[in-house]
Amino acid sequence: MEKKFKITYNESNVLGSVPYVLVKEFDLTPNILKANIAGDGSGTMIVSVVGKEDVIDRAMERVKEIGYVVCPMENHIHKDDKKCWSCGACVSVCPTNSISVDDDFHVIVNYSSCVACGSCVDACSVKALKLVI
Amino acid sequence: MAKTYEEINEKIRSKRAVVYTAEEIIDIVKKKGIEKAAEEVDVVTTGTFGAMCSSGAFLNFGHATPPIRMTDIRLNDVPVDGGLAAVDTFVGATSLTEDPAKGYGGAHVIEDLVAGKSIHLHAWGPGTDCYVRKDIDTHITLDDINEAYLYNPRNCYQNYGIATNTSGRTIYTYMGKLLPRMKNATYSSAGQLSPLLNDPHLETIGMGTHIFLAGGEGYVTWQGTQYKTNVEEVNGVPIGGCRTLALIGDMKQMNAKYLRGLDITGYGISLAIGVGIPIPILNKDILQRCCISDDQIFAQLTDYSLPTGRKEMARYSYAELRSGSIEYEGKKIRTSSLSSYSGARAVAGELKSWIEDGDFELNKPVLQFPKTAKLKTLTEDWL
Repeated sequence: MEKKFKITYNESNVLGSVPYVLVKEFDLTPNILKANIAGDGSGTMIVSVVGKEDVIDRAMERVKEIGYVVCPMENHIHKDDKKCWSCGACVSVCPTNSISVDDDFHVIVNYSSCVACGSCVDACSVKALKLVI
Repeated sequence: MAKTYEEINEKIRSKRAVVYTAEEIIDIVKKKGIEKAAEEVDVVTTGTFGAMCSSGAFLNFGHATPPIRMTDIRLNDVPVDGGLAAVDTFVGATSLTEDPAKGYGGAHVIEDLVAGKSIHLHAWGPGTDCYVRKDIDTHITLDDINEAYLYNPRNCYQNYGIATNTSGRTIYTYMGKLLPRMKNATYSSAGQLSPLLNDPHLETIGMGTHIFLAGGEGYVTWQGTQYKTNVEEVNGVPIGGCRTLALIGDMKQMNAKYLRGLDITGYGISLAIGVGIPIPILNKDILQRCCISDDQIFAQLTDYSLPTGRKEMARYSYAELRSGSIEYEGKKIRTSSLSSYSGARAVAGELKSWIEDGDFELNKPVLQFPKTAKLKTLTEDWL
């Protein structure tokens, strides 16, 4: 299975390698989707991890032990169905094809393949899409 | 066998009218054949639900005691027109608050009024011998004011272009967010459901045509602005923006579901309106034209990174556009609709049920719109 996490670091552990821990100790497949480091050494990364669920859970406990803040990401892109009028403007700006239209031409979001890039947010004319990280 | 408006209305009144949407009629005619279908079917309903900037509302607030002649008027901080009579105004859809970051404009005022929300009215006037008051600060709702008419100088564009971006940076346009190097393309027509693509030469649509406007009843009042006829046709319909309609309707009957204020990033405010037009099946030629389907309607791809002189790069059918991607010189380009096709379906479906229930009759236009028209352009004074 695939899970996404937000991992927060600071000056004390910014030079450490979370992906190394995930690969070497747990044989998982991490993919860093987004990362930033501020001038004071603090920052966050969004990482997608593929592997068995129990292994992912144990691996994340280990990442916490070595000093990172780990926050699982669920519904990180939020679509307000009361606001959305299914125009479709967001569909073609999504790089992972996570937004599409169903058989009735209503806009739908596949939350699991969304990589939280935020490209759709400013394509929406009614502020129905929000990135919650 | 030809039918008359009166024969169709007689069937509507007795709830016997046979009505299909412009989408449903395609298969009905394939199954029954044009002759039989033309005899059986009385009305085809069309629908569209997209952005139209050329929209607004005429309002009359009623007089305060003592009265004021308003010349500077704000509704929820949106400046609206002070150039009409004392307590009349026109709310232009694209009018914006002083702080554009709010993303709130005239279109949102119109949506909020129809949704029944309370609107802050702040107005000033010069103070005259007959209108002594100089300012008023109050709140209004749609129920509190005398008249509220939605008015579109232009709506129901008969087809429109496809936008892409060949430049190296993302551009934000009224055709939506266009990613660099042709990563995506956008289009806006409802295609096979769109009113003027089902009656391409306006045989049945003209001044006085009774329509569905944002959930209420409305009428076609005139040809729309930027009306033209000199556009290439394929399969009997134009391949670009062509004829347009001016529309009016009573806001007090409307439903905010079909009237949405839009904040289009980098462009500004617009108003999405659900419009449905019934087409009376007076003869089989009119029905034949209602059978047009997305694979027979084409539009032109143009480059919106160019400030002017956007030439046709390629043309695609709405069936291709709606498939999710098109191909240009071997490269796949993902597509987005900018108008709500599910909304257009809902409009055509609701109008259909009004007619089937005997609540909505059709009328013959009192004036036909021009058979030929060209656009003029604006030139600068020689510097």
